[in-house]
Amino acid sequence: MAKRRALRRYTWFDWFNIAFMSLFCFITLFPIWYVLVGSFNEGLDYTMGGVWFWPRVWTLDNYLVVVTDAAIWKGYLVTIGRTVIGTVTSVVFTSVVAYAVSRRNLRGRKVYYWIFMFTMFFGGGIIPYFILLKTIGLLNNFLVYVVPSLFSAYNMIVISVFFAQLPDSLCEAARIDGAGEYRILFTIVMPLSKPILSTVALWSIVGHWNSYLDSMYYVNDPDLYSLQYVLMRIINKSSVPTNPGVTLPPSLYETITAKTVSFAAIIVSTIPVLACYPFLQKYFASGFMVGAVKE
Amino acid sequence: MEKLSRAQTQTIEGNGGEAKAPRRLHKKLRKNDWELLTMVWLGVLFVAVFCYAPLFGIVLAFKDGNNVLNIMNAILYGDWVGWDNFRSFLADGEFIDVMLNTLGLNSLMMLINFPAPVLFALLLNEIRPVRFKRTAQTISYLPHFLSWVVFGGIISALVNTDTGVLNALLVRSGLSSAPVDIIGDPKYFWGLIIVTSLIKGIGWGSIIYLAAISGVSKDLYEAAEIDGASRVGRILHVTLPGIAPSVVTFFLLSVSGILNSTVEHILVFQTQTNLSRSQVIDTMVLQYGLNHGMYSYATAIGLFKSVIACGLLVASNFLCKKLTGKGVY
Repeated sequence: MAKRRALRRYTWFDWFNIAFMSLFCFITLFPIWYVLVGSFNEGLDYTMGGVWFWPRVWTLDNYLVVVTDAAIWKGYLVTIGRTVIGTVTSVVFTSVVAYAVSRRNLRGRKVYYWIFMFTMFFGGGIIPYFILLKTIGLLNNFLVYVVPSLFSAYNMIVISVFFAQLPDSLCEAARIDGAGEYRILFTIVMPLSKPILSTVALWSIVGHWNSYLDSMYYVNDPDLYSLQYVLMRIINKSSVPTNPGVTLPPSLYETITAKTVSFAAIIVSTIPVLACYPFLQKYFASGFMVGAVKE
Repeated sequence: MEKLSRAQTQTIEGNGGEAKAPRRLHKKLRKNDWELLTMVWLGVLFVAVFCYAPLFGIVLAFKDGNNVLNIMNAILYGDWVGWDNFRSFLADGEFIDVMLNTLGLNSLMMLINFPAPVLFALLLNEIRPVRFKRTAQTISYLPHFLSWVVFGGIISALVNTDTGVLNALLVRSGLSSAPVDIIGDPKYFWGLIIVTSLIKGIGWGSIIYLAAISGVSKDLYEAAEIDGASRVGRILHVTLPGIAPSVVTFFLLSVSGILNSTVEHILVFQTQTNLSRSQVIDTMVLQYGLNHGMYSYATAIGLFKSVIACGLLVASNFLCKKLTGKGVY
């Protein structure tokens, strides 16, 4: 059967399909290539237009300005910090709650379930939330990136559905041997749940890495800005950043423009994503399906 | 401790029946039950602070708390103004535009961006060279991993009126006599949002449907082939009905989000010049509330939205149960 199918000739549908997918891949990849090309082109020359597939006047000046900009590296530090700390703490915290909710012998399970579900349906909105952050002192505080995202009802339910379908016999044996629930969770249940935990962790990583609204609205100390917000400010700025404390050759400023500098900044801030995602997406896709077929 | 735990149970469950444990394990189970409760209380504590406490802030919508210095004071001691904030929102000249933008954009999303990943998954599933299929799939996920800031920067480079390749193409091909300001001109804004959202989300959105497709029984395909069904016929009569339940479920869920917008996406492209077509409820709440200090007004708009959204969610879940036999919650 398989052999016959492989031998069958390609129809118009196959060719159309392949052409369409090729076009789609081009539309997806070309914009990134376009910005990469622009980032290696001299700024003044770029303004004349026509730099599309290959740099016309090569230069590394744009990157020189970007890598000497302390704001970028501070942004990197904040973003890496919030991604690592935020993801680890939220996966552990959410798992703890999910484990309790997944246990059938939890007293008042239904009530707790609805206490959590309700938060997905209805909220006070952004202003009361902002007032809360202000009241508990999270504004202008690194913790604003970590604490509010410790728990999400959606992730909790996805994880608890997975926990609930694990065979109970292992946990029961440990329980008879005198293990407490925390110990059972950390040494038996969580190691068995790697697929779903890595999926939720990766959702969290992408969310943390890409977020900028929280820096925009909850933080006004430039040292605490996350990378994406730093990048946004560079993109929206119409002048080339002057990096205090760094002396760059004066001739550099004669040809450089804010636009090509912002291209270099886009590339610099995207390199980790481009480098990691082919490895991550495999995990992502398989784990996503675990989440998808939950019911 | 036993007493306390009993009292807790009773407040939670009323007179809930406790499962009788074998005598020998009795003590141990007690301790573990207690631990379970502490686990769930951690979560309850969290939602109490971050989700339930802000609900009290809703009173701000009915108080005079615009342009005040101390919001807490306004919540606690501010003058009640009844429905005034809601009334002024409905009477605001911006109201019609904002509602139109919110509903218009989301309806277009449902018409175009919702079916697109389904179609994409169907096509991708039919690609025969395995290497090509994998590569295309990997590439299609890439934009999902880029932030809206990066994506927005890339798009605005492409459509730039002076240096962008897209405008050069438009002018050279004769489709347009002059460069088009795609981001600044309000009349292109919806199109911009739809297209960028399509590129960013289509590959990622198709994962869930690819999973559903792989769940369709192979026997059905063989039977269809024996009956002489063509490739397209098999897609229409086997694959599509196979994934229909998931499609219906996700569609109904997206209906309930008709007032929600991706703020991160819109704010990246929003400028002063395209405001008439780019302002949606979510961005309006942010700007009035956090940029202009109109706390009560913004809270009222947010509440207006939340109530409608909540109603829609309940209704769509009801419909979902009727149509597919199971609800989302």
